[in-house]
Amino acid sequence: MSAPFRFPIQVVEAGGISAWLFEDHSVPVVSLAWGWPGGSPLDPPLADGRVAVGATRLGAALLTEGAGDLGATAFADALRDEAIALSFSCDRDGFDGSFRALSPALPEAVRLARLAMTAPRFDAEAVARVRARAMAGARQSLETPSGQAARAFWAEGFPGHPAGRPVGGTAEDIAALSVDQIREALSRQVRRGGLLVAAAGAIDARALAALLPALFDGLPAGAPPETPPLPPLRRFGPEVIQVPAPQSTVIFGQEGIAVDDPDWEAAQVVMRVLAGGGFASRLMQAVRVQRGLAYGIGAGMQVLYGRALLVGQVATANPRVGETLSVTREEWARMAKEGPNADELADAVAYLTGSLPLQLAETRPIAATLLAQRRNGRDPEWLSGRSARLEAVTLDKARAVAARLLKPDALSVVVAGQPEGI
Amino acid sequence: MPRLTRRETLRTATLGAAAAATGLPNGAAEPRAASAAEAMPDQPLFGAQLWQLPNGLRVAFVESRRAPVVAQYLFYGAGAGEDPPGRSGTAHFLEHMMFKGSRRVATGAFSLAVAREGGNDNAFTSRDVTAYHQHVEASRLQLVASMEADRMAAPLIPPETVEPERLVVLEERRLRTDSNPRARFREAFDAALWGPQHWHGRPVIGWEDEIRAITRDDLLAFHARWYAPANAVLAIAGDVREGELRRIVEAEYGAVPARPEGASLGRRDRAAPVLRPADAPPARLVRHDPGVREAAHIRSWMAPSLTATLPTPGPMPGGGTLGSEHAYPLEVLAKVLGGGQGSRLHRALVETGLVVAAGASYDSDVVGAGEFGLYATPQRDTPPARLEQEMAATVDRVLQDGVTEAEVARGIRQLTAGALLALDSLGAAPRMIGDALASGLPIEAVEHWPARLRAVTAGQVTAAARAVFGHAQDASGWLLPEGAAAPPERAPGLAAARAGQPI
Repeated sequence: MSAPFRFPIQVVEAGGISAWLFEDHSVPVVSLAWGWPGGSPLDPPLADGRVAVGATRLGAALLTEGAGDLGATAFADALRDEAIALSFSCDRDGFDGSFRALSPALPEAVRLARLAMTAPRFDAEAVARVRARAMAGARQSLETPSGQAARAFWAEGFPGHPAGRPVGGTAEDIAALSVDQIREALSRQVRRGGLLVAAAGAIDARALAALLPALFDGLPAGAPPETPPLPPLRRFGPEVIQVPAPQSTVIFGQEGIAVDDPDWEAAQVVMRVLAGGGFASRLMQAVRVQRGLAYGIGAGMQVLYGRALLVGQVATANPRVGETLSVTREEWARMAKEGPNADELADAVAYLTGSLPLQLAETRPIAATLLAQRRNGRDPEWLSGRSARLEAVTLDKARAVAARLLKPDALSVVVAGQPEGI
Repeated sequence: MPRLTRRETLRTATLGAAAAATGLPNGAAEPRAASAAEAMPDQPLFGAQLWQLPNGLRVAFVESRRAPVVAQYLFYGAGAGEDPPGRSGTAHFLEHMMFKGSRRVATGAFSLAVAREGGNDNAFTSRDVTAYHQHVEASRLQLVASMEADRMAAPLIPPETVEPERLVVLEERRLRTDSNPRARFREAFDAALWGPQHWHGRPVIGWEDEIRAITRDDLLAFHARWYAPANAVLAIAGDVREGELRRIVEAEYGAVPARPEGASLGRRDRAAPVLRPADAPPARLVRHDPGVREAAHIRSWMAPSLTATLPTPGPMPGGGTLGSEHAYPLEVLAKVLGGGQGSRLHRALVETGLVVAAGASYDSDVVGAGEFGLYATPQRDTPPARLEQEMAATVDRVLQDGVTEAEVARGIRQLTAGALLALDSLGAAPRMIGDALASGLPIEAVEHWPARLRAVTAGQVTAAARAVFGHAQDASGWLLPEGAAAPPERAPGLAAARAGQPI
């Protein structure tokens, strides 16, 4: 690197809301990202003890389908006339909003985002249309091995916990939702409390401080309700889902590491060497380059409820599923036993430190990254200090973390397709 | 193997709005004051510097000091459209083999060297281009330029690496196509419209038996002909000064010998579409697939593009071809007809509850003949014949009454409003410029595309609709769950086509 990486973050406070800001006026664009804990586990309980599964995600989709005096088409036109990308999303442990806008359109973006959160219309036509689209999407997601595998992995991994349900519900769940249930889901989720905000681009601290109350003041006080703690990922499998296809998708995973674990960076280094992106990882070398078993294989640290699960995926022709799984388990076990070698450690640290500026060269990923750091409870200096922490990872430390972290015998595995040899 | 065109770049840029594209029949409000993009004079979008090396390589450079990083994209003016007969998938297979080493770079070392410097690298193959790209810290430009130039000059393609990589390509095909019933259907539909051995009707990744037939000599021959410096565009954006860049480019790429026998940009030898007899019915593909849970309908017409005119099957007034002057108007037509909420198809099909989703697609900036497509996902209780009749009636209304000034103005505004968002992405400039130049288009097609769209009139849009729907060859298709009722044998005709209206 030509110079140590610096990533200055300002903390802006206004009206009881704080936001992290990365200010950059080189391009007239502003991205904002905000979010709450919760997500699909907050789907509202019903009087009979069941749950309105899918209500929160359908609510997220309906926020941009008409608000205030703007019907759905008028709302969409208001966004598209100014190229404002406003959206809301619901996941297994959170609910997010975001927009990106050219600077001259920023006031309009704020107006429309506020309107969406505070005065959504739920017109019957919009509800029917978005419901039909969501139902078709839920069915379509089960047409491929990868869609089937993903649904089964979470259901098998967290049985009985709401995080194990399909985030948007099944087509049957969606068909049964009432507008009252969708309203209830959103009123549990979209509140002043629990809100985290991040911004990037052509806006200064003063302007952001003025924007925050304009955007969020209309929300009801209080935080979203707590969700039940997430149990450890259940060990299971290989669980086979029969799907008529020539290729099987395999999803594998195990419990990982807490986001506040002091060995976080060492774990990132170990996972980069074992299963990181591109051709550099041991799994990519063993599975694709040496054996031609798959187009790609990778595993990463997927943060859920304040800890990173280690989850990976690979797709291979049905007759080669057994071999692919064996090779994957062998590499998992070899890393647990030996850890990385000195060259691998150096390469992984070089990549992880050197690639940081690349990830932070566009406003939307910057805002999303800052929001993720806030969700993980990081300090604003966290990113600027990351290179130094990575470079401090020794070979002994990496080996110790690999041994502590990786449990080849505890990998939970789901296979969707018509696999052979397992 | 995504195709990263202007349309795709913008679609990504405005994803939130596009994803929410559905609507109420409450009438389109008039647009408010001019958007930021419209208020700007017609300045070039990126202000790229262009020059050419003595060996023929074209270089495009966009300086950006925003972050200490640089993006290098090397585009070749060859894609799956240039695959030899019976060897579909050659361009894509070669893309994989370009990572197997060159004279100064060991097998597999390219990506590892980039990663070691903290960079990312990849490549993609489309029907029109093949591109290799790296994003690295700015001071590492010479390293990636050196390695990229080396494999332009001569890849190794070690014989022992061909068979393992063929397995990888076959797995990629299974992943993208064979395990996905919608992708299988789309592939079969392209073959039905264009012909399974026509360059536009073959899959980019290749037919499975042809992937298996490709030899190392096929790959070397493709490289020798198409990967010539004069058939390539080097597009670079980032935190580097022009003088330093010129020095690096001349030192690394200037040393690659010119290939007088090789291809040069703008000359592709692509075959004209295979036309059915004027009195034969259009192709119809109906497929029941046990893996499908939701039906899908497509109807597509061959279309002219910015680079090609289009011959038509039947006689027509003023000759037998549709001209490139229809290309930009067709982009606006796709927006007016099927650009999400408020569009004609959305009002006629989605808001009435007949379908879950409907839209139109068209890319003007392709090599050779293009395609104008309509698609719909029906609600489960909508009979296929009903959907097709309503879709045809919607098109008929455009043909008979034309499009309105107001919907064209709104469409153009929404297509161009986000043009400047491309500046927020380091890769957008080199992707858009490299793709256009390698496709044989002038740089103005990128730098001034908003102005070109804004020049389109309602009359031109109506004329383009009458030209394509009235005269171009079409095909239609249905993908259905097993046991679903079969659609009619033929797609409904269009009134304007039956009447043989002049264009």
